[in-house]
Amino acid sequence: MRELELYFGPQHLGMVGNFSITLQVEGDRIVKATANPGFLHRGFEKLMEQRTWIQNFPLVCRINVVEPDHMELMYAMAVEKLAGIEVPERAQFIRSIYLELARVGSHLFGLWAYANMLGFDTVANWAMYHRDLILDLFEELTGGRVYHIYLWPGGVRRDFPEGFEERIRSTLHTIGSCVPDYDDTFFHNRLFYERAHGVGKLSREDACRMGAVGQVLRATGMKKDIRKTEPYAAYDQVDWEIPVRTDGDAYSRIWVVRDEMIESVHMIFKLLDKLPKGEAYQRIPNPFKWKIPESEVYVRCESSRGELGLYLVSDGGDKPCRAHFRTPSYSHGLTILEKALENESIADVGNIMISLYITAPEIDR
Amino acid sequence: MKNPGKKLQDELRSMFESISTEGDGENRMTVKCRKEAVITMLSFLKKTGFDHLALISCVDRLNDNVLELVYILSSYGGDVAMQKLNILLKTTIPRENPQFYTATEIFGNASPYERELHELYGILFRGHPRLTPLFLEREYDIPPFRKDFDTRKYVKDVFDQIPFVDDKKGRT
Amino acid sequence: MTKKSGKMDRNNIGKWFKSPGNMGQKYSLHALYFCTGCGIIEIPPTITTRWDAERFGVIPVATPRQANLFLITGYVSVKTLRYIIRSYEQMPEPKYTVGFGSCPINGGMYWDSYNTIKHLDKYIPVDGWIAGCMPRPEAVFVAVTHLWTLIDKGMATGYLKYREHYAKYRRNQEKILGELEWPPLFSKEEENEKSREKVAG
Repeated sequence: MRELELYFGPQHLGMVGNFSITLQVEGDRIVKATANPGFLHRGFEKLMEQRTWIQNFPLVCRINVVEPDHMELMYAMAVEKLAGIEVPERAQFIRSIYLELARVGSHLFGLWAYANMLGFDTVANWAMYHRDLILDLFEELTGGRVYHIYLWPGGVRRDFPEGFEERIRSTLHTIGSCVPDYDDTFFHNRLFYERAHGVGKLSREDACRMGAVGQVLRATGMKKDIRKTEPYAAYDQVDWEIPVRTDGDAYSRIWVVRDEMIESVHMIFKLLDKLPKGEAYQRIPNPFKWKIPESEVYVRCESSRGELGLYLVSDGGDKPCRAHFRTPSYSHGLTILEKALENESIADVGNIMISLYITAPEIDR
Repeated sequence: MKNPGKKLQDELRSMFESISTEGDGENRMTVKCRKEAVITMLSFLKKTGFDHLALISCVDRLNDNVLELVYILSSYGGDVAMQKLNILLKTTIPRENPQFYTATEIFGNASPYERELHELYGILFRGHPRLTPLFLEREYDIPPFRKDFDTRKYVKDVFDQIPFVDDKKGRT
Repeated sequence: MTKKSGKMDRNNIGKWFKSPGNMGQKYSLHALYFCTGCGIIEIPPTITTRWDAERFGVIPVATPRQANLFLITGYVSVKTLRYIIRSYEQMPEPKYTVGFGSCPINGGMYWDSYNTIKHLDKYIPVDGWIAGCMPRPEAVFVAVTHLWTLIDKGMATGYLKYREHYAKYRRNQEKILGELEWPPLFSKEEENEKSREKVAG
């Protein structure tokens, strides 16, 4: 059969984010897929070299739109390590709660995209509404719906307002009470099984060879989570489990996402119960004159997409010398996607891409 | 095995000449070596268990007139102490006409990182199967992530020079 | 926006008889689903149940051929500009462009980035702007009601401007993107402009 070249994206309804794939197809079967990123390249890391340590905070959160909070955490953690700033215990707990809320929000966004892709519009609408409830919490806490700029070297920008903990609890109860509905309509639905089972399958060896992290790795049966191996914030203060599936296909990946969301909600309740009293932030030096001694650091955390890292170098000045984000979507979108799309049908491109949890701005930076 | 970093340090020192290691050996370990030894060392480290390439980065040291390549490795398997350890493997190459060897045959996900560095720093990775443009559309005289590339001047020279399209009133 | 003009007048039968074209345009703004930047993150909430843009007649559509509203959501990198121009030229007239967020207005926080174009209106005509980073979903609705006013008054004429000054726009586009691989949309206009310039000169 004759081979045909097909452009998928950037202007395409099945494409989440500004990203493009060139497909070589033979009939309905994909012979070869070539990812084509760069539509969102802004040269962040270059811009960061021209702004002072504090000025970079509004910048870093814009690297990943879906969950800006982990980006803030990475930069705050790196600056703390470079400058030797201690974080108070209450701030560590607040950070964990805040990050887990962000994870739930991000997973709900992912669920929206995935359900929308498969045509489960009802579930998609629910997920987006529930994410909005979490955004309302963020808005009360930080003043911004999407970009919060809440984490700060030496803690968080301000303490929880009065009664905020109760409002977190009630919001999470609202969302949690709908989990049976989600299960009935989507997760236990035969249609979802038929569409997603065995699609975009990755073996564990392939996943490890191509640098998979996050759900993509956990869906192949590997229990790996940076929150466990290298605990930051307050993740070592509470008990929690790493959800794992073994099939390595789109179906397992979405199930891991669901289980992770539920685990996150449980974790927030435990953290809220244990929340200590005290200061929520520590004074930092005058940001206009702040210079950090010559050193370098590599920090990493578990964002909702996988291992997120930041390699930050200071040359002793008031600006970073080099910052390089190691983003989970980078390997997922440029290496694994090309492999996972081979021998699949055109109709499953969006299915596989969203189940791999790719966000384009994170790749391009 | 309490401290895998210590053991690895000794092993590396006995195997490779003229390397220097830094760090506590618990969470981060920095290894500096000559550029000829990097590929051998990467494949050795992969065999030792550091099979996850987290990042290939580059720092432009304008004062020393070198580019510093940084490979960050960690491990998938192994015990907790091993998983905690990240290895930062560093080497320097000259700034003029920089060339290096590709690591695509050792690590499956090295390809896009090297393409990115090729584009943003102008490093030629020899033996790379597809060193095509990744992010950029326009061509730049100096690769844009180098320290001597002034973005503000570039914006003034290129984007600000384009006139507004307006008919009669307002901006021209 | 005055109170009168911003009011939803879709039940006003008389108006439908008076200017059916305008009314049809106003209440069926089909937005092109193109995620040009990070502003796209506020579009899913806008089109789903909580904010429900369909109340205003705004729905996302898949292809530029069906769309008449182009929301440029966020910064425009050089590589995206090519696709924005292509999509814009494929949209049928009358078509409206709204810049969403600070970045397409003047570069926003990427004012010194080497890879984002700063002023979108140098390359395609823009009918309205929504300032902010990130603008809230309500801001989209404010923009839409503004656009209704403009359509009512016959002021949303970006597409006519594009027709009229096509040579200038094309020149600007080529300065950034190099030679464009598609033929000019309005080839005669360039000659017209040249002759007009001759007369004026």
